Amino acid sequence: MKYNSRRGSLGKYKAIGGWIFVAPALFYFALFSFYPIINAFYTSTLQKDILSLQPPKFIGLENYVYLFRSEDFWKSAEATAVFTLGCFIPLATVSLLLAVFIYSRSKPFQNFLQMAYFSPAILSTVAAAVVWLLVFDPRGLANQWVNFIANTPGIDHKWLALSHMVRFSTVIIYFWKYIGYFTIIYFAGLSNIPRTYYEAAKVDGASSWTQFWSITLPLVKPTIVLVSIIAMIQCMRTFSTQYLFTESGAATEPINVITLNIYRTAMRDRYIGRASAMSIVLFFIILIFSWLQLKVSKTEKISYI
Amino acid sequence: MNKIRMIQPTRKIGKKKQAYHGVGWRFSYPGNFLIWGILVVTMGLVLTPLAFMVVSSVMPYREVMRIPFRWIPTSFHWQNYWQAIRGNDGSFIYLRNILNSFFVASMVTLTTVFISAMAGYGLAKLPFRGRNLVFILIMATMMVPFEAIMIPLYLIVTKFGWQDSYIGLIIPLMVNAFGIFLMRQFLISFPDAVIDSARIEGASEFRIFWNIVLPNAIPAVVALGILTFRQQWDNLIWPLLITQSEEMKTIPLYIVRFNSEKYTNEGALMAVAMIASLPIIILFFSMARYFTGGLTISGMKD
Repeated sequence: MKYNSRRGSLGKYKAIGGWIFVAPALFYFALFSFYPIINAFYTSTLQKDILSLQPPKFIGLENYVYLFRSEDFWKSAEATAVFTLGCFIPLATVSLLLAVFIYSRSKPFQNFLQMAYFSPAILSTVAAAVVWLLVFDPRGLANQWVNFIANTPGIDHKWLALSHMVRFSTVIIYFWKYIGYFTIIYFAGLSNIPRTYYEAAKVDGASSWTQFWSITLPLVKPTIVLVSIIAMIQCMRTFSTQYLFTESGAATEPINVITLNIYRTAMRDRYIGRASAMSIVLFFIILIFSWLQLKVSKTEKISYI
Repeated sequence: MNKIRMIQPTRKIGKKKQAYHGVGWRFSYPGNFLIWGILVVTMGLVLTPLAFMVVSSVMPYREVMRIPFRWIPTSFHWQNYWQAIRGNDGSFIYLRNILNSFFVASMVTLTTVFISAMAGYGLAKLPFRGRNLVFILIMATMMVPFEAIMIPLYLIVTKFGWQDSYIGLIIPLMVNAFGIFLMRQFLISFPDAVIDSARIEGASEFRIFWNIVLPNAIPAVVALGILTFRQQWDNLIWPLLITQSEEMKTIPLYIVRFNSEKYTNEGALMAVAMIASLPIIILFFSMARYFTGGLTISGMKD
């Protein structure tokens, strides 16, 4: 690498180039990622109203104290927790099963089935939520089908009116939208398992159940953990579906997830400080899970050799 | 290495597998039929809302909400699409909102791809002191969810007076750390010899990037581009914060508005949803390989 040219050593030349190439991104992140998060910390210690002209008042940790005492915040936290748990557990398990099933089909079916399960993900979130609003309408398909299966004609299950049903409805939409996405991630994980393991197991006379239990599951475990954490983080960040539901008249309280609460506190009630404090809480929760994700994706894969 | 291989069109991976097919892992016969049953039924359930959207977008609203629902429309009611575009008030604002969505999503995609490729190249191929620190800093921003910084971003953008403008819609979304990560991972295996020989020939660093590195990173560029475009097409929360006038709104906001208007009929609402989804559907069918290819590596990104 010692190489002399008129511009000095090549290493130096490359280093300057490197900085120039990285500079726009670095500058951008400083301004639109690091500064905002620091600003959020700072704003969370203020009592501030967007519209008022008075200078904001410094109140220390009072916003946090307020949050942890307010019922509204805890209800939001509960709504987020219920949504997250209700979403990521079925997502992580059902998509694994689907991936395993699809993987056992022949090649053309594999492609077709993956595309079919993935297709809801290409609808925009809001468009999907609008479609589901009609499905969950009292006269909609959801009632018709459930009544047909349960043989209870004419009963309205109040998908959007009862508090637990609204939660359930939002979970269904999310599940429907992301099931194909995670199936594809699992599928990629499954295709990385060497076929020879299955051949060896077959020679030894292992049933397909045993094969699944003692080859597939241990080897796909890192993917399971990864998918679970990704799904969890995504569920915690949900906003659009809940927003559209509340806008079209569904009960707000059961689906007032933290992101929606931040938006409503800041834009409707105009308590910027309080909303920032909530943002910081959300930031830390997601930070923990992102850190876990990073840890997990770095760990070595299990090997049978 | 593993990650880079996954970005390649899935077809390639499939071919390798096909050679092994038949000796691999199969279910026994009764189990096999059961699994077909489960797959077909769940696929039907997954596709039902999509079919509902397509079918009822050409139905008069009485038929959309009919009990029991009839899957075959008695007549094609194309007026729904006309009403979707015209709007309930006849303002044709949807067209403007569609253009806004196209413009904002394309601009964000362009800047994301370009700046990510640049930074990815710098981080992968041009060693400089502090490079690892820079990389870690950029990766750290991946842990900051947009929802947590949207309020400060809103304050910044209003301070600059950019609310309700294209620049306000575009700027805070211009790059994301994931894109840089993706480009770096892709470029790290690019042969140094090619770059060095170009350098000896006297090509400038930017020329090397533009004429040699970028054309060879097309799979990553396309995957990142599609991912970003789709994400921005879908974006509700930022336009919701930043726009006030109807002229500046994007498609998701129009759907919210159309949905809450009193005189909206359900058929037209489905037509609105169809129009909103159409560009991504077209993109999906023309570049499905890249869609899923990008997904498998994207893992950590919405």
